[in-house]
Amino acid sequence: MSLFSAISVSASGMAAQRARAELLVENLANVETTRTPQGGPYRRKDAVFATAPAESPFGSMFANQLAPEGVEVVEVVVDQRDPERRYLPGHPDADPDGYVAFPRIHPAEDMVDLMGAARGYQANVSAISAVKDMIHRSLDLLR
Amino acid sequence: MPLSSIAPTLPASAAIRPPQLAGESGGPEFGNLLRESMARVEGLRAGAGEAIGQLLAGEGELHQVAVAAQKAELAFELFLQVRNKVVQAYQEIMRMQV
Amino acid sequence: MMLDPIAAPLERYLDLLSARQKLSAQNIANADTPGYKTRDLDFAAEMEAHMAAGPPAVVEVEGLKTRNDGNNVSVDREARLLAENSLRFNAAAQLLRGQFRAVRSAIQEGRSG
Repeated sequence: MSLFSAISVSASGMAAQRARAELLVENLANVETTRTPQGGPYRRKDAVFATAPAESPFGSMFANQLAPEGVEVVEVVVDQRDPERRYLPGHPDADPDGYVAFPRIHPAEDMVDLMGAARGYQANVSAISAVKDMIHRSLDLLR
Repeated sequence: MPLSSIAPTLPASAAIRPPQLAGESGGPEFGNLLRESMARVEGLRAGAGEAIGQLLAGEGELHQVAVAAQKAELAFELFLQVRNKVVQAYQEIMRMQV
Repeated sequence: MMLDPIAAPLERYLDLLSARQKLSAQNIANADTPGYKTRDLDFAAEMEAHMAAGPPAVVEVEGLKTRNDGNNVSVDREARLLAENSLRFNAAAQLLRGQFRAVRSAIQEGRSG
Protein backbone atom coordinates (compact mmCIF):
# COMPACT_ATOMS: atom_id res chain seq x y z
CA MET A 1 0.00 0.00 0.00
CA SER A 2 1.17 3.50 -0.45
CA LEU A 3 1.34 6.07 2.30
CA PHE A 4 -2.00 7.36 1.10
CA SER A 5 -3.75 4.17 2.13
CA ALA A 6 -2.16 4.49 5.55
CA ILE A 7 -4.30 7.59 5.92
CA SER A 8 -7.37 5.50 5.12
CA VAL A 9 -6.29 3.01 7.74
CA SER A 10 -6.02 5.73 10.38
CA ALA A 11 -9.34 7.18 9.28
CA SER A 12 -10.98 3.80 9.82
CA GLY A 13 -9.44 3.77 13.28
CA MET A 14 -10.94 7.15 14.02
CA ALA A 15 -14.35 6.02 12.83
CA ALA A 16 -14.25 2.86 14.91
CA GLN A 17 -13.17 4.65 18.09
CA ARG A 18 -15.85 7.23 17.54
CA ALA A 19 -18.53 4.57 17.16
CA ARG A 20 -17.24 2.95 20.30
CA ALA A 21 -17.37 6.26 22.16
CA GLU A 22 -20.93 6.88 21.01
CA LEU A 23 -22.07 3.56 22.41
CA LEU A 24 -20.33 4.22 25.70
CA VAL A 25 -21.95 7.61 25.95
CA GLU A 26 -25.31 6.00 25.30
CA ASN A 27 -24.65 3.51 28.07
CA LEU A 28 -23.73 6.25 30.49
CA ALA A 29 -26.77 8.31 29.59
CA ASN A 30 -29.04 5.33 30.22
CA VAL A 31 -27.66 4.06 33.52
CA GLU A 32 -31.03 4.54 35.19
CA THR A 33 -33.33 3.84 32.24
CA THR A 34 -35.93 1.34 33.39
CA ARG A 35 -38.25 1.68 30.46
CA THR A 36 -37.49 1.32 26.74
CA PRO A 37 -39.64 1.09 23.60
CA GLN A 38 -38.60 -2.55 23.32
CA GLY A 39 -39.88 -3.16 26.81
CA GLY A 40 -37.75 -3.65 29.86
CA PRO A 41 -34.76 -1.67 31.01
CA TYR A 42 -31.94 -0.36 28.82
CA ARG A 43 -29.36 -3.01 27.95
CA ARG A 44 -25.70 -2.11 27.75
CA LYS A 45 -24.16 -1.99 24.26
CA ASP A 46 -20.62 -2.85 23.32
CA ALA A 47 -18.71 -2.37 20.07
CA VAL A 48 -16.74 -5.29 18.69
CA PHE A 49 -13.71 -4.33 16.61
CA ALA A 50 -12.24 -6.42 13.84
CA THR A 51 -9.53 -5.91 11.28
CA ALA A 52 -10.88 -4.95 7.89
CA PRO A 53 -9.18 -4.04 4.64
CA ALA A 54 -8.97 -0.29 4.28
CA GLU A 55 -9.61 1.54 1.07
CA SER A 56 -6.72 2.26 -1.18
CA PRO A 57 -7.20 5.58 -2.95
CA PHE A 58 -5.40 4.14 -5.93
CA GLY A 59 -6.59 0.80 -7.19
CA SER A 60 -4.53 -2.11 -6.04
CA MET A 61 -5.07 -5.53 -7.45
CA PHE A 62 -2.08 -7.05 -5.78
CA ALA A 63 -2.49 -8.53 -2.36
CA ASN A 64 0.80 -8.35 -0.57
CA GLN A 65 1.97 -8.24 2.98
CA LEU A 66 1.60 -4.51 3.10
CA ALA A 67 -2.07 -4.55 2.06
CA PRO A 68 -3.77 -1.95 4.22
CA GLU A 69 -5.53 -3.41 7.26
CA GLY A 70 -7.82 -0.97 8.91
CA VAL A 71 -10.44 -1.65 11.52
CA GLU A 72 -14.19 -1.62 11.67
CA VAL A 73 -16.98 -2.22 14.14
CA VAL A 74 -18.33 -5.57 13.01
CA GLU A 75 -20.93 -6.01 15.67
CA VAL A 76 -22.76 -4.16 18.37
CA VAL A 77 -23.24 -6.61 21.19
CA VAL A 78 -26.26 -6.00 23.39
CA ASP A 79 -26.01 -7.25 26.93
CA GLN A 80 -28.25 -10.30 27.27
CA ARG A 81 -27.81 -10.89 30.95
CA ASP A 82 -30.72 -10.56 33.29
CA PRO A 83 -31.16 -6.99 34.39
CA GLU A 84 -30.36 -5.89 37.89
CA ARG A 85 -33.35 -6.01 40.19
CA ARG A 86 -33.76 -3.53 42.97
CA TYR A 87 -36.47 -3.44 45.55
CA LEU A 88 -38.40 -0.18 45.02
CA PRO A 89 -42.08 -0.84 45.60
CA GLY A 90 -43.19 2.72 44.94
CA HIS A 91 -41.49 2.91 41.53
CA PRO A 92 -43.81 3.25 38.49
CA ASP A 93 -42.00 0.35 36.79
CA ALA A 94 -42.07 -1.95 39.77
CA ASP A 95 -43.30 -5.46 39.15
CA PRO A 96 -45.95 -7.11 41.39
CA ASP A 97 -43.22 -8.06 43.88
CA GLY A 98 -42.00 -4.49 44.10
CA TYR A 99 -38.80 -5.05 42.17
CA VAL A 100 -37.62 -2.75 39.41
CA ALA A 101 -35.34 -3.93 36.59
CA PHE A 102 -32.33 -1.69 36.06
CA PRO A 103 -29.60 -1.81 33.42
CA ARG A 104 -26.43 -3.67 34.29
CA ILE A 105 -24.02 -0.84 33.76
CA HIS A 106 -21.00 0.18 35.81
CA PRO A 107 -20.53 3.86 35.03
CA ALA A 108 -16.94 3.90 36.26
CA GLU A 109 -15.94 1.17 33.81
CA ASP A 110 -17.63 2.82 30.89
CA MET A 111 -16.05 6.16 31.78
CA VAL A 112 -12.63 4.55 31.69
CA ASP A 113 -13.49 2.91 28.38
CA LEU A 114 -14.64 6.24 27.07
CA MET A 115 -11.27 7.76 27.91
CA GLY A 116 -9.65 4.85 26.14
CA ALA A 117 -11.75 5.51 23.05
CA ALA A 118 -10.82 9.19 23.14
CA ARG A 119 -7.15 8.35 23.45
CA GLY A 120 -7.42 5.83 20.63
CA TYR A 121 -9.11 8.44 18.47
CA GLN A 122 -6.35 10.92 19.21
CA ALA A 123 -3.64 8.38 18.45
CA ASN A 124 -5.13 7.84 15.00
CA VAL A 125 -5.17 11.58 14.42
CA SER A 126 -1.46 11.69 15.29
CA ALA A 127 -0.79 8.84 12.90
CA ILE A 128 -2.42 10.73 10.05
CA SER A 129 -0.32 13.74 10.91
CA ALA A 130 2.90 11.73 10.85
CA VAL A 131 2.02 10.08 7.55
CA LYS A 132 1.15 13.42 6.00
CA ASP A 133 4.53 14.70 7.15
CA MET A 134 6.24 11.91 5.24
CA ILE A 135 4.22 12.63 2.14
CA HIS A 136 5.23 16.28 2.28
CA ARG A 137 8.89 15.33 2.71
CA SER A 138 8.53 13.07 -0.31
CA LEU A 139 7.22 15.99 -2.31
CA ASP A 140 10.20 18.03 -1.17
CA LEU A 141 12.41 15.56 -2.99
CA LEU A 142 11.05 17.00 -6.19
CA ARG A 143 12.39 20.44 -5.44
CA MET B 1 1.44 6.32 -23.17
CA PRO B 2 -1.05 8.26 -21.09
CA LEU B 3 1.38 8.55 -18.23
CA SER B 4 3.87 10.55 -20.24
CA SER B 5 1.88 13.73 -19.70
CA ILE B 6 2.71 13.67 -16.02
CA ALA B 7 6.17 12.25 -16.41
CA PRO B 8 9.03 14.64 -15.84
CA THR B 9 9.08 17.16 -18.63
CA LEU B 10 11.58 15.64 -20.98
CA PRO B 11 11.14 16.03 -24.70
CA ALA B 12 10.60 12.86 -26.63
CA SER B 13 13.92 11.28 -27.41
CA ALA B 14 13.11 11.52 -31.08
CA ALA B 15 13.69 15.25 -30.87
CA ILE B 16 17.20 14.78 -29.60
CA ARG B 17 19.70 13.54 -32.11
CA PRO B 18 23.41 13.74 -31.84
CA PRO B 19 24.78 15.89 -34.63
CA GLN B 20 26.11 13.90 -37.53
CA LEU B 21 29.81 13.93 -37.04
CA ALA B 22 31.79 13.87 -40.22
CA GLY B 23 33.57 10.56 -40.28
CA GLU B 24 32.74 8.40 -37.33
CA SER B 25 36.36 7.35 -37.31
CA GLY B 26 37.44 10.76 -35.99
CA GLY B 27 34.68 10.89 -33.45
CA PRO B 28 33.75 7.44 -32.29
CA GLU B 29 34.32 8.60 -28.77
CA PHE B 30 31.97 11.50 -29.12
CA GLY B 31 29.37 9.45 -30.89
CA ASN B 32 29.47 6.70 -28.32
CA LEU B 33 29.41 9.12 -25.48
CA LEU B 34 26.28 10.72 -26.80
CA ARG B 35 24.64 7.41 -27.50
CA GLU B 36 25.41 6.19 -24.03
CA SER B 37 24.07 9.34 -22.47
CA MET B 38 20.93 9.14 -24.50
CA ALA B 39 20.42 5.50 -23.60
CA ARG B 40 20.81 6.36 -19.95
CA VAL B 41 18.28 9.17 -20.23
CA GLU B 42 15.82 6.85 -21.89
CA GLY B 43 16.33 4.20 -19.27
CA LEU B 44 15.82 6.58 -16.40
CA ARG B 45 12.86 8.21 -18.02
CA ALA B 46 11.27 4.80 -18.43
CA GLY B 47 12.05 4.14 -14.79
CA ALA B 48 10.30 7.33 -13.77
CA GLY B 49 7.27 6.41 -15.85
CA GLU B 50 7.19 3.01 -14.25
CA ALA B 51 7.39 4.51 -10.76
CA ILE B 52 4.41 6.72 -11.54
CA GLY B 53 2.52 3.71 -12.84
CA GLN B 54 3.22 1.86 -9.64
CA LEU B 55 2.09 4.76 -7.54
CA LEU B 56 -1.20 4.93 -9.40
CA ALA B 57 -1.68 1.19 -8.99
CA GLY B 58 -1.32 1.65 -5.26
CA GLU B 59 1.94 -0.28 -5.28
CA GLY B 60 4.64 2.34 -5.28
CA GLU B 61 5.53 5.30 -3.15
CA LEU B 62 5.60 8.99 -3.83
CA HIS B 63 9.23 9.28 -2.77
CA GLN B 64 10.18 6.62 -5.30
CA VAL B 65 8.55 8.66 -8.02
CA ALA B 66 10.37 11.79 -6.84
CA VAL B 67 13.75 10.06 -6.78
CA ALA B 68 13.19 8.47 -10.19
CA ALA B 69 12.14 11.85 -11.59
CA GLN B 70 15.22 13.58 -10.21
CA LYS B 71 17.54 10.94 -11.59
CA ALA B 72 15.94 11.16 -15.02
CA GLU B 73 16.21 14.92 -14.98
CA LEU B 74 19.87 14.84 -13.97
CA ALA B 75 20.68 12.32 -16.67
CA PHE B 76 18.95 14.53 -19.17
CA GLU B 77 20.84 17.62 -18.04
CA LEU B 78 24.08 15.72 -18.30
CA PHE B 79 23.12 14.58 -21.75
CA LEU B 80 22.37 18.15 -22.76
CA GLN B 81 25.74 19.36 -21.56
CA VAL B 82 27.55 16.54 -23.28
CA ARG B 83 25.69 17.25 -26.49
CA ASN B 84 26.48 20.94 -26.27
CA LYS B 85 30.14 20.18 -25.78
CA VAL B 86 30.12 17.83 -28.71
CA VAL B 87 28.46 20.40 -30.94
CA GLN B 88 30.92 23.03 -29.76
CA ALA B 89 33.87 20.83 -30.49
CA TYR B 90 32.44 19.94 -33.87
CA GLN B 91 31.94 23.58 -34.76
CA GLU B 92 35.44 24.44 -33.71
CA ILE B 93 36.84 21.67 -35.84
CA MET B 94 34.78 22.88 -38.78
CA ARG B 95 36.07 26.40 -38.29
CA MET B 96 39.67 25.31 -38.58
CA GLN B 97 41.39 26.40 -41.70
CA VAL B 98 42.63 23.37 -43.51
CA MET C 1 24.27 6.06 -12.92
CA MET C 2 26.90 8.11 -11.14
CA LEU C 3 24.43 8.77 -8.39
CA ASP C 4 23.62 5.19 -7.53
CA PRO C 5 26.35 4.20 -5.10
CA ILE C 6 25.37 7.04 -2.79
CA ALA C 7 21.68 7.15 -3.48
CA ALA C 8 20.77 3.47 -3.42
CA PRO C 9 21.11 2.89 0.35
CA LEU C 10 19.31 6.16 1.03
CA GLU C 11 16.49 5.15 -1.26
CA ARG C 12 16.15 1.80 0.46
CA TYR C 13 16.15 3.57 3.81
CA LEU C 14 13.27 5.76 2.64
CA ASP C 15 11.39 2.69 1.40
CA LEU C 16 11.78 0.94 4.73
CA LEU C 17 10.84 3.97 6.78
CA SER C 18 7.66 4.58 4.82
CA ALA C 19 6.73 0.89 5.08
CA ARG C 20 7.32 1.06 8.81
CA GLN C 21 5.18 4.17 9.17
CA LYS C 22 2.30 2.44 7.43
CA LEU C 23 2.56 -0.48 9.83
CA SER C 24 2.57 1.87 12.81
CA ALA C 25 -0.58 3.53 11.52
CA GLN C 26 -2.14 0.11 11.11
CA ASN C 27 -1.14 -0.95 14.62
CA ILE C 28 -2.66 2.20 16.07
CA ALA C 29 -5.90 1.72 14.15
CA ASN C 30 -6.08 -1.81 15.54
CA ALA C 31 -4.99 -0.94 19.08
CA ASP C 32 -8.33 -2.16 20.41
CA THR C 33 -9.01 -5.01 18.01
CA PRO C 34 -9.25 -8.31 19.90
CA GLY C 35 -6.54 -10.76 18.90
CA TYR C 36 -4.56 -8.32 16.79
CA LYS C 37 -0.79 -8.62 17.04
CA THR C 38 1.61 -5.74 16.49
CA ARG C 39 3.32 -5.76 13.08
CA ASP C 40 6.71 -4.35 12.15
CA LEU C 41 9.73 -4.86 9.88
CA ASP C 42 13.03 -6.32 10.95
CA PHE C 43 14.61 -2.99 10.13
CA ALA C 44 18.23 -3.93 10.77
CA ALA C 45 18.00 -7.08 8.66
CA GLU C 46 16.27 -5.26 5.84
CA MET C 47 18.88 -2.52 5.78
CA GLU C 48 21.67 -5.04 5.77
CA ALA C 49 20.19 -6.69 2.74
CA HIS C 50 19.89 -3.22 1.31
CA MET C 51 20.56 -4.26 -2.18
CA ALA C 52 17.34 -6.23 -2.04
CA ALA C 53 14.44 -4.79 -3.93
CA GLY C 54 10.79 -5.38 -3.39
CA PRO C 55 8.63 -5.02 -0.31
CA PRO C 56 10.22 -5.77 3.06
CA ALA C 57 8.98 -8.68 5.12
CA VAL C 58 6.36 -7.95 7.77
CA VAL C 59 6.88 -9.72 11.07
CA GLU C 60 5.04 -9.96 14.36
CA VAL C 61 6.77 -8.15 17.16
CA GLU C 62 8.10 -10.17 20.09
CA GLY C 63 8.16 -9.18 23.69
CA LEU C 64 5.00 -7.13 23.87
CA LYS C 65 2.52 -7.53 26.67
CA THR C 66 -0.68 -9.20 25.56
CA ARG C 67 -3.93 -8.14 27.15
CA ASN C 68 -7.03 -10.18 27.92
CA ASP C 69 -8.52 -9.71 24.49
CA GLY C 70 -5.39 -11.00 22.78
CA ASN C 71 -4.26 -7.58 21.60
CA ASN C 72 -0.64 -6.56 22.21
CA VAL C 73 -0.45 -3.09 20.69
CA SER C 74 1.42 -0.54 22.77
CA VAL C 75 0.21 2.87 21.70
CA ASP C 76 3.25 4.42 23.36
CA ARG C 77 5.57 2.31 21.25
CA GLU C 78 3.69 3.18 18.08
CA ALA C 79 3.60 6.88 18.88
CA ARG C 80 7.35 6.85 19.47
CA LEU C 81 7.93 5.05 16.18
CA LEU C 82 5.73 7.48 14.29
CA ALA C 83 7.89 10.36 15.47
CA GLU C 84 11.17 8.51 14.92
CA ASN C 85 10.28 7.36 11.44
CA SER C 86 9.25 10.86 10.45
CA LEU C 87 12.50 12.38 11.67
CA ARG C 88 14.64 9.74 10.00
CA PHE C 89 12.73 10.04 6.77
CA ASN C 90 13.21 13.77 6.83
CA ALA C 91 16.94 13.40 7.42
CA ALA C 92 17.39 10.82 4.66
CA ALA C 93 15.34 12.89 2.22
CA GLN C 94 17.47 15.95 2.97
CA LEU C 95 20.64 13.97 2.38
CA LEU C 96 19.29 12.68 -0.90
CA ARG C 97 18.35 16.16 -2.00
CA GLY C 98 21.88 17.24 -1.17
CA GLN C 99 23.19 14.50 -3.43
CA PHE C 100 20.99 15.62 -6.28
CA ARG C 101 22.08 19.21 -5.80
CA ALA C 102 25.73 18.22 -5.82
CA VAL C 103 25.39 16.25 -9.03
CA ARG C 104 23.42 19.04 -10.65
CA SER C 105 26.11 21.53 -9.69
CA ALA C 106 28.79 19.30 -11.10
CA ILE C 107 26.94 19.03 -14.38
CA GLN C 108 26.36 22.74 -14.62
CA GLU C 109 29.91 23.55 -13.59
CA GLY C 110 31.12 21.83 -16.71
CA ARG C 111 28.98 24.06 -18.86
CA SER C 112 31.30 27.02 -18.96
CA GLY C 113 34.48 25.01 -19.24
